[in-house]
Amino acid sequence: MSLSLLIVVAAITIGSRVAALAMLPPLRGPVAAIAQRLPAPLFASLAALSITGSGGTVTRPILAATGCALVAALRWRSLLVILAAGMGGCLAASLIW
Amino acid sequence: MARARASASAGVVSAAVPVAVAIGVFGIVYGAAAGPVLGTPMTVVSSLIVFSGVAQFTMVALVAAGATPVAVLGAVATLALRHLPLGAVLQPVLTDGRGRRALIAPFLLDETTGLALTTDARAERTLAVSGGLAYAGWVGGTIIGLAGGTYASFEPLAAALFPVLFVGLAALTARTQSDAARAALAGVGSAILLITWPAADALGVIAVAVVVSCVVRAA
Repeated sequence: MSLSLLIVVAAITIGSRVAALAMLPPLRGPVAAIAQRLPAPLFASLAALSITGSGGTVTRPILAATGCALVAALRWRSLLVILAAGMGGCLAASLIW
Repeated sequence: MARARASASAGVVSAAVPVAVAIGVFGIVYGAAAGPVLGTPMTVVSSLIVFSGVAQFTMVALVAAGATPVAVLGAVATLALRHLPLGAVLQPVLTDGRGRRALIAPFLLDETTGLALTTDARAERTLAVSGGLAYAGWVGGTIIGLAGGTYASFEPLAAALFPVLFVGLAALTARTQSDAARAALAGVGSAILLITWPAADALGVIAVAVVVSCVVRAA
């Protein structure tokens, strides 16, 4: 793989981030309303992606971590508490299975 | 005021450090996998200038399979489309001008976007701090992986951290019952999509989230 190809890959990746963050025109009307509704479904979809992994396989510790995080999220609105609950679930599941 | 700002900054760091550590573990995996394909110097440079796990793993897999440069660029360009919805959801909370936003744009990741939407600090500051830590973790992890570092004992924990993080971010950005219903629908829909068609990958699940946001207005 050549350095020039790597530089073009970097330009595409960083360029798309700059375009998204600094060049996207202000959203108005229905598009703005959709963007306002998007965060929670977007992160839920990314959670599903990271649970299944790229190969579509799901492990028990990951399921346990996700379940504990969900339970904690219903009770507490703190990211740290949710992270701690999820990691605790993962550790417990790893010890059991 | 200063105390509130310091508290918000501390909150950003404490939320960002576990994410950076998990990204570092995947950096180790990347370094170990990419080293034999790209060579040591190119592997380090790739993490320094690309800073995208999805793009870099895809690039290495394609190069290892003998794909043409056009195929590599096509795949990377398609994956880069995922940044547009991230920019769209951040737009309402950004206060800096376009120039300063462009400077922190390399730190636009799924994880840093979520932290920017859910922590008390300014979104730009959260992106810069959490993105800087994630970058250090990614590059450091790559170098450790190249040096033959072992990740076996940490890999399951790191793999579990990302779904936990995204569940937390979905919960914190769900401010109404309608948001929660849309999140549940998108999560279940994405899981079904990935189980039935694993190749749908990131762009497929982002499309599910966008469709749910378009269709389900109130619940």
